[in-house]
Amino acid sequence: MQLVIGYLYGDLMNIYGDTGNIIALKKRAEWRGIKVKLKVKSLKSKIKKGEIDLFFFGGGQDQQQEIVATNLITSGKGKIIKSEIDRGVPLLSICGGYQLLGDYYKPHKAAKLIGVGLFPVCTLASSDRMIGNIVIESMFDKLVGFENHSGKTFLKKDAQSLGTVIKGFGNNGEDKTEGCIYKNAIGCYMHGPLLPKNPKLADWLLKKALETKYKRKIELKSLDDTLENQAHNSAIKKFG
Amino acid sequence: MQIKIAIFLGKLIALISQTFKLGGGSAAPGLYSLKIDSNLVEKLIKQIPHNIVITGTNGKTTTARLLAHFATQSGLKIIRNHTGSNLERGIASALIQNYRLHPWGVNPKFDLGIWELDEAAFNIMVPKIKPELILFLNVFRDQLDRYGEVDTVVKKWAETLKTLTPQTKVLVNGDDTNTAKLAKYFIGKVQKFGLQNYKLRGESIEKRGHNTKLDFEAKNIKLNGLKGSSFNLFLNHKSYILNLPLPGIYHIYDTVAAIAAFTCLFTDIPIHPLRRLSEASRYTNTLKSFLPAFGRVEKFSFQPLRLERKVEGYIFLIKNPAGATQVFETIAPQLRQNDRLLLTLNDNLADGTDVSWIWDAEFELLLMPLSFPRKRESNKQNIYGSPIKSGMTVVCSGSRTYDLAVRLKYAGFEIKEENIEADIEKALKQAQKGLKGRLFILPTYTAMLELQYILAKRGIKEDYWKKE
Repeated sequence: MQLVIGYLYGDLMNIYGDTGNIIALKKRAEWRGIKVKLKVKSLKSKIKKGEIDLFFFGGGQDQQQEIVATNLITSGKGKIIKSEIDRGVPLLSICGGYQLLGDYYKPHKAAKLIGVGLFPVCTLASSDRMIGNIVIESMFDKLVGFENHSGKTFLKKDAQSLGTVIKGFGNNGEDKTEGCIYKNAIGCYMHGPLLPKNPKLADWLLKKALETKYKRKIELKSLDDTLENQAHNSAIKKFG
Repeated sequence: MQIKIAIFLGKLIALISQTFKLGGGSAAPGLYSLKIDSNLVEKLIKQIPHNIVITGTNGKTTTARLLAHFATQSGLKIIRNHTGSNLERGIASALIQNYRLHPWGVNPKFDLGIWELDEAAFNIMVPKIKPELILFLNVFRDQLDRYGEVDTVVKKWAETLKTLTPQTKVLVNGDDTNTAKLAKYFIGKVQKFGLQNYKLRGESIEKRGHNTKLDFEAKNIKLNGLKGSSFNLFLNHKSYILNLPLPGIYHIYDTVAAIAAFTCLFTDIPIHPLRRLSEASRYTNTLKSFLPAFGRVEKFSFQPLRLERKVEGYIFLIKNPAGATQVFETIAPQLRQNDRLLLTLNDNLADGTDVSWIWDAEFELLLMPLSFPRKRESNKQNIYGSPIKSGMTVVCSGSRTYDLAVRLKYAGFEIKEENIEADIEKALKQAQKGLKGRLFILPTYTAMLELQYILAKRGIKEDYWKKE
């Protein structure tokens, strides 16, 4: 089996160790004998239908984020990503990537940045900086990470959150929700990076990617996750 | 009167903290004195004729120490903030400790103040210090939870530069596009330093094809493993060959920066006539006697438990992706099968509470025999190489020891359960068990302070605050 991971704007959106998520996906696939090919999809790249089996979209600095927001719309990549997600391709987006895949982002004094419209959420700039370790309860059990954002994301009525905040701020620091899940796509504020310390979520993404690609049910071989679970549990013990 | 009360209180706190071994007293005295007189720093610094400010993500302390070394060897009396405590309170502490409180007393006269300021403190302190020279070393991602993004840091520096008088001397790293572009925000003259054929891109130093115009440039660079390096430097129409007893490209940057700053400031000013050194001997001879800043690179020898002979140990501070990756690049080609690594990751405030950065540092390099510098297409491409060297023992430690262990596992290390020990003192013992080769210790900032204390307690090295 082979997997193609698409790192969306990996040259511009890779702040806060988010590349660790790519390393985790790649290693966990390789340890099971699955070949992985990494493709960085940036400003000038095109994305063909069926080309990417699993998307990752990290966070960036303000200036880069603006460039990427425009490019997603003008290059048509946003539309393709949305149609790929609709047919079941999994995606993980963190912080900036999550915001750009929502309906819109409203900066302090500038016009709205229109998003891809994948997640039914909108984000408003705020003057609060939400920084610190975060623990949430989700369908993947507890998830641990580190958040650092000032944008406040609000879910629309029909949106499903990734989980409930146990410790930290989450989407907006107000309603105890964190992240959003739509089909097999996840958006959230959890750096850390997220996947190395939450192997259950990493494996869910791999499984969905393979099942969508090979159109059959797939059971992943189990790995020795002693260290990963110790890191996970010690974070919960320390911060949760 | 207010200022005298402030200084008295500061001195008292410093005494208490040193007597009871609460630390070197490098921050607390300043903290409390500033509460009594918030203008303490301006008032005291005004009395010093020359002041240099050093900022940047990496290399501040080593550069400050080099500058201090050149200055004292030239007969100048210097004052500086010590031991990496570079917030306003650190500066206040340094001033307080050097200020005499006799009603009739004369303060020690200083010729030069050397102030290292972190990325954020820079903007607050520069208007207060009004330095004669500012040195921008580099800017990398560092403690994003504290300083914010690189673009934000540069933007704020630019705003501070706009407020300075044109007479201020500004020196920037010409190989770092972020510091080089600061020139356009300053109305005075900006000079650049750098290394022939190198530039800083993203989180790494790499070979560059073309040369940008540099006012101070290290040429013919030769790296000599853990022993150091040699290079040529052109100063005032003469070329000097310099031997640097510190390993790694990043230390050549610090050295060129320090020499450039010293030259800019003191070429025209007569230095103490009796101890006036020729330029050649100032830089070539004094470099030989230079000891690196505590923990940045340190060599020591010790006798491991149950072992008859002494072995060598090295400490290299790691604190952000760029700095750590440069350390890995420096030591990786020197590592042998029998050597051991002790890595410690803490998440205290001074380390940064966000430990995500370890995933941007290329721990994979420690397992790859390589010759520096490598050519790369992008700094994200080479993390996926397969490690070749294996079997080397690595011990993980610190308050986030499991995060570190997971990072190392994904880098290709085999991590044994007995080699994971949060407690640094126990981890140090574990790393020594049956050690045949050398021990390389790579701690984050507060872990390094703990280590210094442990090593001092065992008589392996001195307390860092007593060293100066």
